Amino acid sequence: MMRQYLGRLARALDFDPSLSRQVVQEVEDHLRETIERDPVADRLEAERRAVAKFGDPLAIAAQFAAVSLAALARRVAFAAVLLIGAVFIAMKARLAWYGVMQCPLAEDMRALSGIVLTIDRWAFWLALLTGAAGWIYIDSRRAPAALTREYRARLRRFSVLCLAAAAALIVCVAADGLLTVLRLIGAQWSVAFVVPLFSVAIEIACAGVLVSYLRAMAGRTTRAACLTPAA
Amino acid sequence: MFRGCSGSSAASSKAGTVEGEMLKGHLDMIVLAALAPGPAHGYAVIEEIKRRSAGAFDLPEGTVYPVLHRLEQAGLLAGRWVTAESGRRRRVYELTRRGEHALAERRAVWEQFSDAIGGLFKGSRTGKRPA
Repeated sequence: MMRQYLGRLARALDFDPSLSRQVVQEVEDHLRETIERDPVADRLEAERRAVAKFGDPLAIAAQFAAVSLAALARRVAFAAVLLIGAVFIAMKARLAWYGVMQCPLAEDMRALSGIVLTIDRWAFWLALLTGAAGWIYIDSRRAPAALTREYRARLRRFSVLCLAAAAALIVCVAADGLLTVLRLIGAQWSVAFVVPLFSVAIEIACAGVLVSYLRAMAGRTTRAACLTPAA
Repeated sequence: MFRGCSGSSAASSKAGTVEGEMLKGHLDMIVLAALAPGPAHGYAVIEEIKRRSAGAFDLPEGTVYPVLHRLEQAGLLAGRWVTAESGRRRRVYELTRRGEHALAERRAVWEQFSDAIGGLFKGSRTGKRPA
């Protein structure tokens, strides 16, 4: 009976596999201790009583869902700001490299480059502002005891901010890639070009990591939503 | 007896539900207070709550674990895995410095609230309407 109960709890917590493993281990220890201390001689009866006292696994999993999503949301918010910062450093490093290597923009590329640069700047600042707003929004509020409607609405608003930040960051990285191509297209090929190309690769990786975080968040939220009534 | 957070309150009275909600609202403080004497694992925390409340707080035991995790996430508790004498791995929680401060704050607020409510009840003990 205890095994079945732990299996049900593990399945209910499968939205967060590492949390599920930890909680199942903790609960198993708890149930074993309860059974050992139960004066009733019948082991099966002791297991039944221990499981009944512990409560409904779905209700417990729903409370853990709030804890798990709060932790993930904080990680996503922190990662978003950190990744946007990393993109900024990569951009500045590339510009510094252009200065050192004296790699000017070709005259016929200046007009197009100006437009792309404007888009790039706006997209970067939008990513930074929405990312920072998301972080402040989720970090300034305490995680509730349960996955309530209000909390799910809060997570939705946070996700919208993060999606806006990710979309703006993707536009910014794409613009950076285009600006790099425009800068290097007319120049004589050199091994030193690895530096700006590598900086663009870092930016692409940062955007990719942010998107993967958001996908993880969306997946966990969807799976956890099954534990609570629809809003 | 206060019954809280079970989710199976169909048969419970309205008063019982209110008591459950009341308990839920103070669960963080109850768990922090239960850990004030020293580090303990989940089972011991639940036993301590039952013992110190003289059995008044009869929670579904599973509701305490999400609270322990949430308080740990908030930095009020620190958890670590240890091996018990039985050979089983178990997670032990203890108050952090922040947790101690949070408990002291909540205790002060609770005492103020309790005194105020006590004063109100004292005034209405006879049940007579003011003239």
